Amino acid sequence: MSAIGACSLAAVGLAACSGGSSSPHSVSAKKSQTITFAESGLGTEGAQTQKAIDGFMRANPKIHVKIQVLSPDSTTYLAQLEHAFIAGDSTPDVFESDVTYPAKFAQAGWVRSLNSFHPDTSKFFKTEMAAGTYNGTTYAIPWFDNPEGLFYRTDLIKTPPTSPAQVVADAKAAMKKDHQLKEGIAFEAAKYEGAITAFLTVDSAFGGKLNPNHINTPGNRAALTWLYDAIYKEHIAPTAVTGWQEGQVESEFISGYTPFAIDYPFVEALATKPPVKGHVGYIPFPAGPGGTPGAALGGEMLAINAKTTHAAAAWKLIQYLTSPSVETARAEATGDPPSLPSAYTPALFAKAPYFKQVKVLNGYAAPRPVSPNYLQISSDLQDMFSSVYANSTSPAAALKAADPIVKGAATAKAGG
Amino acid sequence: MSTAGAPVVAPPARPRSSRRRKREGRKADRRLGYALVAPVVVVLLAITGYPLVYNLWNSFHFVNLSYGNLPRRFVGGANYTSMFGSSAWVAALERTLAFTGISVVFDMIVALGLALMLHRKFKGRGVLRASILIPWAVPTVVSAMLWKTMFDPRAGFVDYFLGAIHHPWASLTWVNANVFRSWVVIFIADAWKNVPFVAIILLAGLQVIPTEVYEAARIDGATAWQSFRRMTLPLLKPAIMVALIFRTLQAFLVFDVIYIMTGGGPGTSTETLAFLNYQTFINNTDFGVGGAMSMMLCVMALVVAAVYVRVLRPSA
Repeated sequence: MSAIGACSLAAVGLAACSGGSSSPHSVSAKKSQTITFAESGLGTEGAQTQKAIDGFMRANPKIHVKIQVLSPDSTTYLAQLEHAFIAGDSTPDVFESDVTYPAKFAQAGWVRSLNSFHPDTSKFFKTEMAAGTYNGTTYAIPWFDNPEGLFYRTDLIKTPPTSPAQVVADAKAAMKKDHQLKEGIAFEAAKYEGAITAFLTVDSAFGGKLNPNHINTPGNRAALTWLYDAIYKEHIAPTAVTGWQEGQVESEFISGYTPFAIDYPFVEALATKPPVKGHVGYIPFPAGPGGTPGAALGGEMLAINAKTTHAAAAWKLIQYLTSPSVETARAEATGDPPSLPSAYTPALFAKAPYFKQVKVLNGYAAPRPVSPNYLQISSDLQDMFSSVYANSTSPAAALKAADPIVKGAATAKAGG
Repeated sequence: MSTAGAPVVAPPARPRSSRRRKREGRKADRRLGYALVAPVVVVLLAITGYPLVYNLWNSFHFVNLSYGNLPRRFVGGANYTSMFGSSAWVAALERTLAFTGISVVFDMIVALGLALMLHRKFKGRGVLRASILIPWAVPTVVSAMLWKTMFDPRAGFVDYFLGAIHHPWASLTWVNANVFRSWVVIFIADAWKNVPFVAIILLAGLQVIPTEVYEAARIDGATAWQSFRRMTLPLLKPAIMVALIFRTLQAFLVFDVIYIMTGGGPGTSTETLAFLNYQTFINNTDFGVGGAMSMMLCVMALVVAAVYVRVLRPSA
């Protein structure tokens, strides 16, 4: 990146700073209008979104929805959204948002408060709903809820483990038994956001909590030590995990190289070949002493641009996309887990039984910190995890060193 | 033939209107010249001058888009103080300087060797000259992904070959598991991309050195080494200067290869100034401190270029 490139970015950015957050005019949802919906779905996800939008337009003939497909890469997707907001663009009117973005967007004044629409927040999984709420105001509505948990091979692990220690023991036993296995457990340890969700999946099993104001807790130390030991003491995970994201973890699991993998529900649908086919279990990470079963909250939400003049129509679209039947249809077609407990229907379970477990995991899913400074917090946490997984520092020392840094990022105030 | 006595004929006075026409013609030429370069100047001012000035302005203000509701305000040199006081920035500066020094020296030596080789006559020289440009033509993001895959302990071939030499090397994790190995991979990917570019610049320099110079040296009994040291290197100075400026600035502003390969890890051990600058802009949306970092990068880059031009300029 050149410095001039950075300068250009700055210049683009500044156009944004002058605008307020309220939309000057608002078009009634009853009038003919076109709204733009930005999302990142490709392939089956994109096709299902189009199908849902077609259904919406049939039900609301005066509202035409234009789909704006943004990058499937989350970092690029965020940058694309930010560029639109920074430029003060009134489109996209409604957009998909990762669970970690709403607080940042809210503080920046880029998203519209949804309180005036009186959303029924009680019908969604409460952890994801909390991710869309900032300072008591609702800014985003859960679209689908993607909990990260522990996959295991049911042919190699006959009974699901009930403690972290048993995960280690089962992994070692499986490695002895099946020489096709290359490791005992695969998890995301690359320096990226997934390292945080992998940690969160394990964290509450040790009684830990990712509170950015105080991360150096016994629970967090125990969780990070367990992951570190998996690589360097128990040798059930290879050092190669330091380069693995969810895609590589999925690949290790569905290729039959690992009996355990920490990953998202989408892995289940991809395990279609032997030796993994028909032998997939998916559970919360088993709790240790003083802990609760672990899962990490992932997922996507829907929010409305603060500058839109079509807020009412945008809200109608959100209501439609988050209705139980539409969410169930999406889950059946794409495997995206519904954000509504009521969308987990017997028909869905009949078609894809693993959604029973997904629903269980959603009940345990631990959120990442809801903070407008989350990206900075995440960056600091990634630095810490990366150092530990590279064996550059011990888990205890890393948490101790990162504690004030993460707290500083979380409590940073404007100009402070 | 004498001209004495011949009547002196005064040259015909140039008509005033002709001079005026010429002057106006020159003016018209100038106007046309300005008109022709104007679009370029305007575009350059728009995409380079304006952002640069705006960025300078930003660097003296509080501009954090995470606080979109807050007004921009003048903070004097606070953003610069914050940057200089940041241990992350100082560490990134040290890494950047080390990376720049090592990679520039390595690339220049290898590229000079490559250029000298390509300057010789041999069969297939044309094909080789064209083919060495391929790495340079590949976008850095793509080449970084390729190298990352090649060094992957599962999918790559590097460990496969290393394992054939020494078995424990068969499953070395290169990226983000070890600081030294992470840098090795970055250096290799960066050199693969940039050495050909430097080599081509140097080759162009070699081609304009007259062969008579070498013939004269040979007649005078100069050895190949003396000929290289006393003839080639001094005459190659302008090309070396161009290559050094380009390569140093590229290395100094290294970003994409690191972003793709290590993400700055393990920890922050491969974060450079440009990477930190990117994080400040994109993660923190802090255009004040980010602006100060960008301005420092600009200043340092200009200083490097100025030093090269002064040290390596051809002597009068």
